[in-house]
Amino acid sequence: MSHRFKFTCALILVVILWLLNISLGSISIPIEALLKRLAGVPFPRESWEIIVMDYRIPKSMTAILAGIALSVSGLQMQTFFRNPLAGPFVLGISSGAGLGVALLVMAGTAFGWQLFAGTSYWSVILASSAGAIGVLVLMGLAAWKVKDSMTLLIVGLMFGSAASAIVTLLSFFSAAEELKLFTLWSMGNLGNTGWSELGLLSGAILIGVTMVVFSVKSYNAMLLGEAYAKSMGINFQKLRWIMIVSTGILTGGITAFCGPIAFIGIAVPHLARLLFKTNDHRILFPATAILGILVLLACDTLSQMPGHASSLPINAVTTAFGAPLIIWLIMRRNFSEAF
Amino acid sequence: MKPNKSSPRKAKPCIHAKDLVLGYALGKQINPIASGISFELFHGELTCLMGPNGVGKSTLLKAIMSQNLPINGEIWFGETSASQMSDLVRAQNIAVVLTEKIRSGLMTVRELVALGRSPHTGLWGHLSAADNAFVNQVLELTHLGDIAEKRLSQLSDGQRQTAMIARALAQDSNIMVLDEPTAHLDLTNRFDIMYLLKKLAKEAGKAILVVTHDLEVAMETADQLWIMATKEPLVAGSPEDLMLEGHLQKLLPGEKWEIDSGNGKIRLKTPSTLPEISGPEHLTYWVKNALRKNIEIPMPDKIVVSQNPFEIIIFSEQNYFTFSRISEMIRFLKN
Repeated sequence: MSHRFKFTCALILVVILWLLNISLGSISIPIEALLKRLAGVPFPRESWEIIVMDYRIPKSMTAILAGIALSVSGLQMQTFFRNPLAGPFVLGISSGAGLGVALLVMAGTAFGWQLFAGTSYWSVILASSAGAIGVLVLMGLAAWKVKDSMTLLIVGLMFGSAASAIVTLLSFFSAAEELKLFTLWSMGNLGNTGWSELGLLSGAILIGVTMVVFSVKSYNAMLLGEAYAKSMGINFQKLRWIMIVSTGILTGGITAFCGPIAFIGIAVPHLARLLFKTNDHRILFPATAILGILVLLACDTLSQMPGHASSLPINAVTTAFGAPLIIWLIMRRNFSEAF
Repeated sequence: MKPNKSSPRKAKPCIHAKDLVLGYALGKQINPIASGISFELFHGELTCLMGPNGVGKSTLLKAIMSQNLPINGEIWFGETSASQMSDLVRAQNIAVVLTEKIRSGLMTVRELVALGRSPHTGLWGHLSAADNAFVNQVLELTHLGDIAEKRLSQLSDGQRQTAMIARALAQDSNIMVLDEPTAHLDLTNRFDIMYLLKKLAKEAGKAILVVTHDLEVAMETADQLWIMATKEPLVAGSPEDLMLEGHLQKLLPGEKWEIDSGNGKIRLKTPSTLPEISGPEHLTYWVKNALRKNIEIPMPDKIVVSQNPFEIIIFSEQNYFTFSRISEMIRFLKN
């Protein structure tokens, strides 16, 4: 099977899943009605218009953006660190964002002061971004100081652990309803983004992805490791900054709007290698992006629990349904050889 | 600094350096590893760099690759100093084969070799028709054409190493530096790889520098040897000259081992307690070899070896004994 054929199949699947994603949910909307609406025929019921246009389409778009951002960051990390366990959160971005939100939501009780009057949607986004940027700045300082990429990886993990420790402390001293608020945030939510936020988010993703597009050659050279990449004239320091800034924008942006979405970033790049059987990043980056969209759209469709009034947290679904799938795929083939 | 004028050769070296001090800076402290490193590397020659572990061979390679600058002194590529070269220009001048094992098992041999074109391709690394033709040429030269579409995970160690050399070749540099390319290979592969490198030096006119611990292969293939020994300046010369001048002994610090100047082999230093052995030379050689390994056993007074049929006669205190195999003789002497 050629790559072109695989991409075509994946694209068709994306369209089908996208329609399913919009059609299924607590209220089921027939796909014919959706297709007619796309062609300009209004929905038979007014409530459908609101459900689809204000809720389901922005949510599916968020899933698509998050799928691209997280999996592309994950692939960058795995190739840069030459480590199959690396993912978008290894530089501590999600922990940093978590710390920001925890400070906003829970620190009031712990320290006896009020950070914001309320925990509005935008203040959560600001707190999360501030936390992620804070960790990124620290990582930038570390990257400037240490030259070894394995050291950088460990520093990132340690920053993450330190941030989590503070979050644990805050949770311990916080009130029950605040803790619940924070826990809900940490489960991830694709449904909070409206059209205006989507514009901002897609701008950020576009910047992050563009940086990647212009460094595919460097990432291919990195397949042979740092020393070989340097010997082939790759500017390693530049690539390192591209990696940090681009994953910062991609992962930080998604985490700010949707919370930490687990599993996609680590697993999807492996899935792409298994299905496309290549290490060439000119194929792998688009493949990872499209598979990221597929997996996250599928998980989101499941999380809406078609026919039920409530929905599941997205993190529970990505992990509970995605992880076994990936484990099965990875066990089937010699995964470490493929890496 | 100008090229070394005392060089007896007319050709100009493609890399040269004088009195380098190599080492690492740890914080403000500087740890020199090797000093007095002067060398010249010539086109069309295979040069082997040898020396005991920890003497600074890898540091010298890193200095040549500009990954770790010398503490003192400059390395010159013709008239350009290494520190003034951009990464890209350096990549077009030097290609390397390193010791680290690469994974990327999904990559095909062709893709690996094509990566070598990186310093010559554009922003996205797209191969032009000329690049593809070059890759094909390299695959043919290294006899990898038949396995060009195989994935790296399917290759044997020898094929993998040849593929890494092919990648370096595709870089189309005039200098190639290889760090222990034959380390994990079997006997024939070791010779195959070194003869391939020798062929590349002769036919493509490349300057090839190989770090190796394999004295036998180096003696057989190298045009030049560079010997590094602890706390001594680098010694360069043809393997034969260095052997006769006794420099090769520097590879074996300590009192335990020596180099047989007759055949270039390494052996245990033995006090001259071997008995007189007579017979055809190719037979007495192996009898000596066996006795040397068992130097602690009581030796006979005299040994005579004859062929057709193979027979060993040992004379000991007025008695003599005959054996048809060396191992029988050794077992007899042990008792």
